[in-house]
Amino acid sequence: MKTFYGLNALNSGEAFFASLVIGFFFGLALERAGFGSSRRISGIFYFTDMAVLKVMFTALIVAMLGLVFFSSVGLLNISTQIHTLKTYYGAFAVGGLIFGFGFAISGWCPGTAMVGLASGKLDALVFLIGAVLGSILFNELFPVIEPLYTWGRSAQTSFNEPGLAFIYQSLGMTKNSFLLLFTAVAVLFFWGAEYVERMKNPEQGGDYFNSPFLRAFCLLLMVTAAALPLLSPQNLGTRVSADISVQKSPESVPSTVRAFMKDVSSAQGHMEPEELADRLLKQDSALMVLDVRPESEYRAFHIRGALNVPLPEVPAFTAKNGESGLIVLYANDMTHPAQARDELFRMGFKKVTILTDGLTGFLERCLKPVSLRSEPVSTETANRIRSWREYFLSFGS
Amino acid sequence: MESKTLNPKPYGNPYLAGVLLGLALLAAFLVLGTGLGASGGIARLGAFLEGMVAQTHTLSSAYFGKWGEHPLTYYLVFMLTGVFLGGLFSSALSRRILFGIEKGKTASGGLRLSLALSGGILSGFAARLAQGCTSGQALSGNALMLTGSLVFMACLFTGGYMVAYFVRRQWD
Repeated sequence: MKTFYGLNALNSGEAFFASLVIGFFFGLALERAGFGSSRRISGIFYFTDMAVLKVMFTALIVAMLGLVFFSSVGLLNISTQIHTLKTYYGAFAVGGLIFGFGFAISGWCPGTAMVGLASGKLDALVFLIGAVLGSILFNELFPVIEPLYTWGRSAQTSFNEPGLAFIYQSLGMTKNSFLLLFTAVAVLFFWGAEYVERMKNPEQGGDYFNSPFLRAFCLLLMVTAAALPLLSPQNLGTRVSADISVQKSPESVPSTVRAFMKDVSSAQGHMEPEELADRLLKQDSALMVLDVRPESEYRAFHIRGALNVPLPEVPAFTAKNGESGLIVLYANDMTHPAQARDELFRMGFKKVTILTDGLTGFLERCLKPVSLRSEPVSTETANRIRSWREYFLSFGS
Repeated sequence: MESKTLNPKPYGNPYLAGVLLGLALLAAFLVLGTGLGASGGIARLGAFLEGMVAQTHTLSSAYFGKWGEHPLTYYLVFMLTGVFLGGLFSSALSRRILFGIEKGKTASGGLRLSLALSGGILSGFAARLAQGCTSGQALSGNALMLTGSLVFMACLFTGGYMVAYFVRRQWD
């Protein structure tokens, strides 16, 4: 699935129209939640009306579950199709704190104030005027506060982007266990919210405290969060992504077709992991394999014989070393190597190829033990896998 | 703000409203690839207005300048327009449109409006510093499980609880 962001088309008329429609439902949901009222919103700060917490955490879990679902079945590639913000601890902490001051002082935030304006609230209009002025103030002060704007970038790297940090990595846990933990915390928050509402505002609040609805709702969220990881491709026994096509079981494909497919893939500048594994095993000196991932990932694991040349350095490295043989580029997936290959093409290097399905594909197709494979493997293939595993997994330790 | 004649419908189930909001957020990811945003549209309006007053100054400024001569030609401006229309549709449907200042019974309108203005200035400024607001950071960023967005959300509520006590009179 391709998004407007992934197609680099966020500035098109179609994207503007889609934004208008999505914004309509965004505003509708906020108004349904009662966020056209600043009194209701600011209730969270006085423990009289915890709607903000209930709505926000429900929305977060629904969106998280959806994103995990679509990415785990291979329909959505987060690294290429979704815009992700890098983490600047200092800027976001200071910004969050000041934003929180403004939120509690006014009872509005930008989105809800727009709904408040639509509901006729003069204080929402005044808030929005203030927010426009605050933005202009930021622009005017930007030369002075620029160091603050980029203060405290995370040391993590994700999708080859330095500073892009995911919570589960920061906490050293898996994505699925974080999803479950987040859902459990939200369920506790819901019960706590209903409880304090009942204490603080007995006439109107705490309607759902210990109610059959809330019990069923929380159970549904927990079960979904726990069951969703079972939908991942490994557990379904098939790989849903692009590699269903060519080399699923090479033995069953007629050799002419196979040769043709190989021509097609080499014409596109791809090399299949099996071919790379065989050629490296035979110490093919015509190959130069470049790992374009950051150094930390290279040090954690790389294909034996590969040199580490992080993405930004690839053009300079290639220009310096010339084009003696075939250059094979790889990263965890194919996006960045493909970009680097295109750039090298433009520089005049024609013998450049990328590893089909990246390191992920290499591990899956060449190094995954026969015993863990869901499809049957011929004796010949099993022997090849054994020799690859011996060669690629034994070094360096 | 109480009005018997309008007879507004009571608010619905907040958890179901949250599901609806979550689906809008998911749709924004799947279609746009960006999630939801509100403060970005407001900042664009700021750039447009500053450009009307001082065009060369705005175009040469380090932050607004990169948005060019037509800052309003941007997807978040359209999204914000949609938010207004969706809010209008829903509040009209539930008979919740009521012109006036929302405040406590004994609080003065002047107090409420000055707090709304100062809160707005702080929020508008802070959303630029943090590259997002409740929508872009707290909702969209946390749905993607971004570390920075969790830090933003934690600090947002910390800041809110720090000052709420001092501005409580507006709701009395």
